[in-house]
Amino acid sequence: MKAEEKPANLSKKRRKKVRNPHHFSPKTNIIMTVLLGLSAFLCIFPFLYVIIISVSSEESLIRYGYKLIPEEWSLDAYSYLWNMRGQLFQSFGISLLVTILGTVISVLMITMYAYAISRPQFRYRGFFTFFAFFTMLFNAGLVPLYIVMNQFLDLRNTIWALILPLAMNAFYIIIMRTFFVRSIPEAILESARIDGASEWRIFFKISVPLAVPGIATIALFSTLGYWNDWFHALLFIDDPNLVPLQALLMRIENNLEFIRQNTELGGAVQEIYATVPQDAAKMAMVVIATLPIALTYPFFQKYFISGLTIGGVKE
Amino acid sequence: MKKFFRNLWENRTWLLMVLPGTLWFILLAYIPMAGNVIAFKEYTIHPEGFIASIIHSDWVGFDNFKFLFSTSDAWVITRNTILYNLVFILLGLALAVALAILLSQLANKRLAKVYQTGMLFPHFLSWVVVSYFVFSFLSMDKGLFNNILESLGMSGISWYHEPEYWPYILTSMNVWKTVGFSSIIYLAAIAGINRDYYEAAMIDGASKWQQIKHVTLPALMPLMVILTILDIGKIFRADFGLFYQVPRDSGTLYSVTNVIDTYVYRGLMQMGDISMTTAAGLYQSMVGLILVLLTNYIVKRIDKDYALF
Amino acid sequence: MKKVFGLFILFAILLLAACSDDNASGESDGKDSDDVVELQWYMIGTPQPDTDKVMEELSDYTEEEIGVRVNMTQIDWGDYEERMRIITSSGENYDIAFVSGGTYTLNAQRGAYVGLNDLLDSHGKDVKEALHPDLIEGASIEGELYGIPANKEIGNQSVLVFNDNLVEKYGFDTESIETFADLEPMLEEIKNNEPSFSPISAASMFRPVMPFDYVLGWNMPVVFPFNGDTETAVNLLETDEAMETFKVMRDFYQKGYVPSDAASSTDPWPYNVENWFVRIEGYNPYAELLWERDAGYPVKVQPLTDPIINNEAVTGSLMAISATSKHPEEAMEFLNLLNTDPFARNLVNYGIEGEHYEKNEDGKIVNLPARGERYSVPQYALGNHFILDLFENDPDDKWEAFQEFNDSGVRSPSLGFHFDPSPVRTEIANVSNVASEFMPPIFTGSVDPEEHVPMAIERYNEAGLQTVIDEVQKQYDEWKETVGE
Repeated sequence: MKAEEKPANLSKKRRKKVRNPHHFSPKTNIIMTVLLGLSAFLCIFPFLYVIIISVSSEESLIRYGYKLIPEEWSLDAYSYLWNMRGQLFQSFGISLLVTILGTVISVLMITMYAYAISRPQFRYRGFFTFFAFFTMLFNAGLVPLYIVMNQFLDLRNTIWALILPLAMNAFYIIIMRTFFVRSIPEAILESARIDGASEWRIFFKISVPLAVPGIATIALFSTLGYWNDWFHALLFIDDPNLVPLQALLMRIENNLEFIRQNTELGGAVQEIYATVPQDAAKMAMVVIATLPIALTYPFFQKYFISGLTIGGVKE
Repeated sequence: MKKFFRNLWENRTWLLMVLPGTLWFILLAYIPMAGNVIAFKEYTIHPEGFIASIIHSDWVGFDNFKFLFSTSDAWVITRNTILYNLVFILLGLALAVALAILLSQLANKRLAKVYQTGMLFPHFLSWVVVSYFVFSFLSMDKGLFNNILESLGMSGISWYHEPEYWPYILTSMNVWKTVGFSSIIYLAAIAGINRDYYEAAMIDGASKWQQIKHVTLPALMPLMVILTILDIGKIFRADFGLFYQVPRDSGTLYSVTNVIDTYVYRGLMQMGDISMTTAAGLYQSMVGLILVLLTNYIVKRIDKDYALF
Repeated sequence: MKKVFGLFILFAILLLAACSDDNASGESDGKDSDDVVELQWYMIGTPQPDTDKVMEELSDYTEEEIGVRVNMTQIDWGDYEERMRIITSSGENYDIAFVSGGTYTLNAQRGAYVGLNDLLDSHGKDVKEALHPDLIEGASIEGELYGIPANKEIGNQSVLVFNDNLVEKYGFDTESIETFADLEPMLEEIKNNEPSFSPISAASMFRPVMPFDYVLGWNMPVVFPFNGDTETAVNLLETDEAMETFKVMRDFYQKGYVPSDAASSTDPWPYNVENWFVRIEGYNPYAELLWERDAGYPVKVQPLTDPIINNEAVTGSLMAISATSKHPEEAMEFLNLLNTDPFARNLVNYGIEGEHYEKNEDGKIVNLPARGERYSVPQYALGNHFILDLFENDPDDKWEAFQEFNDSGVRSPSLGFHFDPSPVRTEIANVSNVASEFMPPIFTGSVDPEEHVPMAIERYNEAGLQTVIDEVQKQYDEWKETVGE
C-alpha cells in the first residue's frame, strides 16, 4: 500500500490513466498469471496432500497407502494431537519465543556486521569479510561445538542453546553486504556526515531504512531458520518443556528410523512403535508446524514485493 | 605499532559494529573448527576430557580420508555430487531469477503475493515428509503413477529399482523445494532497483524484454554472482535428505543417488567413528575453499566489483 | 548513541547470563549434594514427565541404602545413539549410560568406559552372582567387562509368527514347518485366496534365517557358520546355504509372496493391522502374549532355530560406567542395587505404587493411567528382569520360563569374541556401503541372486572384504588361544 503511494509525484497522474508500465502487457500478463498459478499450485499441492492424509483413517493408510481421496475419513489424528495438547502448546510457545528472540538478535548482529564490512571507510573490511566467509566453508566440529555450548557457556537445556548457534550466518552477512553496497549511495551518507551526524546515527537513521528490503529478507530467512531448526534441540535439549515443535516432529521421525534399524530388538520394538504417533497424526503435526510460519510470510512480503522503496527517499 | 593502534582507534565505530559478530564467530565457529585436528588422528577417549583425548590419540596422517578414495565408489559419489550440484546451481539460479522477475511484473499484486506464499510451502516440508509423498506417487503397487499406467494398459514401473528416472526426479524435487525460497532474495533486490531507470528506458522506447535485459538483470548481477560463488563453495556437499530419504535408501538406485554425504553416513553409521566423519567434512571443505578462491579469482579478473573479496 | 549502548549492554548481559549460569549450575552440583554423591545416568527412551519424580523417590531410597542420589536423563530412541556419541566423545563427566550391541564394543575399545572386573568384586558382588555366567563371559572384551548386562533372555531365537486366524481358516499344520522354504504351499494358498493380506511381511531390514553367526553385526557379511567348520570366517554370499536361501526368496518374490517394494520399504508392520500372514521375529518366553495383546487377534509361533547365545544376544542391553565418572565406585554400588534389589528395580520400571500402578490381590501389577501417560519406560534397558513383579496378565511362571529358555540356549562358538575394527576401518566403511547397496534387494528376493550375488561379491572384494575377513580370522585365532589357556 504505502509503496504504491510513494512514486514521484510526476508519474502519479499518468499511472491512474494507463496501465502501470512496470507490468506486463495484458496478454502476457494472463499467460504468466496462469503459468505462475500452476507452479504455485504444484508447490502447495503436497501440503494439501498432507492435510488430506491427516484426516484419513490410520487403518486405510496402512492397507491402501496414501490416497488423494482417502478410503475412510477420520479425525482421530487431531484428537490424538488434542490429547497431547500440553506438550504441543508448550513446544509451540518455545518455537515462537526462540523464533522471535532469535530473529531480533540475529538480524541486529548480522546487519551491523554486514554494514561495517560494506563501508569503504572501514580499513579492515577485507579481513572481516573473509573472517565471516571462512566459517561458511569449514564446518565447526560437532563435538567441539557441543563442548563450547555445554562446558564453556553451559547453555544446555536453555533456550539460548537454540538461539545462539543460529545467531550469525556468514551467508546472510554476505547477502546483506551486497544489499548495503547496492542500495546506499555514498553521496547521501557523505552529506549526512557533513551535517555532523555520527556514523551510528547515519547507520540507524539512513542506512537501515534504505536497506529495508534486504533486512526483511534476512529477517525472513532467520525466522524460517529458527522455526525449522530441530538439530540444535536434538543436541542440547533434554528437557521436554524446551523442545520446539519441529524437533518434536523430527524426534518422531528419528524414532521410526530407529525402529527400522533395530528390528532385531523384537518385543521392545513393538513397544516403542506403540508410543510413536502414526502416520495420520504425524501429518497433522506437520500441518500445525507449517501453517503458522507460512502465514507469517505475507508480513515480510510487503517489504519487498511491490518495490519502489528506494524511490521514496531519493534526494 | 603506534600506527596500528591509531588505525584501530580511527576505525572504532566499525570495529564496534563487528564486535558481537566477531565474538560469535570466534566462540562458535573458530574454536570448534580447531576440533578438525581429529581428522588426522585415531580418536580414542581419555578420562580427562576432550583436549586430553585429542592429545592422547595417535596421529594417523591421512588414514581417515582413505575410505573416500579407495574403491570405485569414490568416482561415483564424486561425480554424482558435483553433477547434481552443478545442475542445481544453474537451474536454480535461472529459475529463481526468472520467477522473481515474473512475480514482480504481475499486474495483480494480491495474486502475486498469494503465489509467492504458495511457492514457499515446499521449503517447510522436511525431506522425510516429502519422501512419503513421493512414495505415494511412485509406490509399485499402491502408487498413483503405476495405477495410471496400468489403467492405460501399460505395465507398472518399479520406480525404486530403475535408476534411469532418478536424475530427473531428484532434480525436479530439488528445484521444487528450493526455487520459491531462493527467489525471495531476488525479489527483494528487484524491490531495491530505482524505478527511474525503467522510466528512462521506457522513454527510450525499450520493450519489456529489453528493460529486463538492460535494467533488471544488470541490477541483479552482483547478487547472482555472489550467490553462485557461495554455492560453488558447497558443491562438494549434497543435501542428505534429498539423496537418502527421497529414494528411500534403495540399493539398486545407488549408481545415481549415492553422493558423498550418503556414502559417509552409510559407511560410518555402524562404527560411529568421529575421526572419519570429521575427515570427510574437512575434505569437502577443502575442495569448497579451493573452488571458491578460484571462482572468486576468475570473477575478479573479469569485473572487480563482482568479486566476493 | 544511547541505542548503541543499549545494544552492547544487552549483549553483555547475554554473555554474563551465560557465564553466571555456568557458575550457578557448577555450584549447585556440589551444593545440592553436600556429601551425597549424585549420579548422572543416561537412559534410552522417550523422556517422561514423571521421571524426575520417580528419581526423587528412588534417590531417597538409594541415599538411605548406599548413600547416593540418582538423576536419570532420558534421550529419545532415535536420538540416543547420536547424542551419546557426542557426549562420550566430548569427554563429558557422567556416571552411567545405557548401551547396546556394537556401540558397546566400540566404545569400550576406545576407552569410554571403566573396566568393571575389580569394581564387581569390590562393590558389586551381588550382581555378579545374579547374572547368568554366559552374560558376563560373552560381554567381556579381552577378559574385562565394561557394562552390566541386563539379566533377561540371553538367547536369540528366530521364530515364525503366523496370523492364527488364517492358520485356522485354512487348517494349516504350522508345526511341520522346519525351514523357510517349507512355507511355500501355505503362501500360495494365501496369495491366491486372500488378496488383502501380504503372505510374508517384510521390509528393508528383512533377514531370512540362516545358520550363521554374524560376528560384525547383521549388516556385515562376515560370518562364522554354525555347521561344519565353525572356526573359519567366510563371506556369507559365498556360501551354498546363503545361495539356496536367496533362491527361495527370489522364488517367493516372483510369485508375489513378498511385498514388491520390500527392499526399500520402511513399513514396521504393526501387529494391530491385520494384513499379514507370516513374519520372522526374535523370541523370548511368552512373547506371543505380548504380540497378541498388540494385535487383538491370536498368533501362532513356530521356532526356526534354538535359542543361540551369541554376542548380539548378550550385549542387547547393558549399563556402562563412564571413564569420565568421578564416582565409579558409587556407580557400581548403584548398579548392584538396581539389579538385585526388587524395590529399586520395580520402582524404576513401574513408577511409584499408588500413583503409576497398584497391586491386585495376587500381588501383580495393574497399571494406572498415569503410567502410560507419565512414566512409560523401556523394561529391557533398565536391568535385571528376574526380580520384577509380574503384570496382571503375565503367567505365574514367567521368570521360570525365562530361566528354562536360557538354560536351553546353545552357545555360539564366537561368544565373547569382540572384533577390534581399528586396523581395517577404511575397509569396513567401504564394505558397509556395498552392504547397504546389495543386501536388502538380495535378502528380500527383489533381484536375481544368480546375477547379483556374483556382482556383490566382486564389489565386496574391491571394497576390501577379504582384508576384513582375514583380520577377523586373525583376531579370532588369537582370542581362541587366550580363551583356551
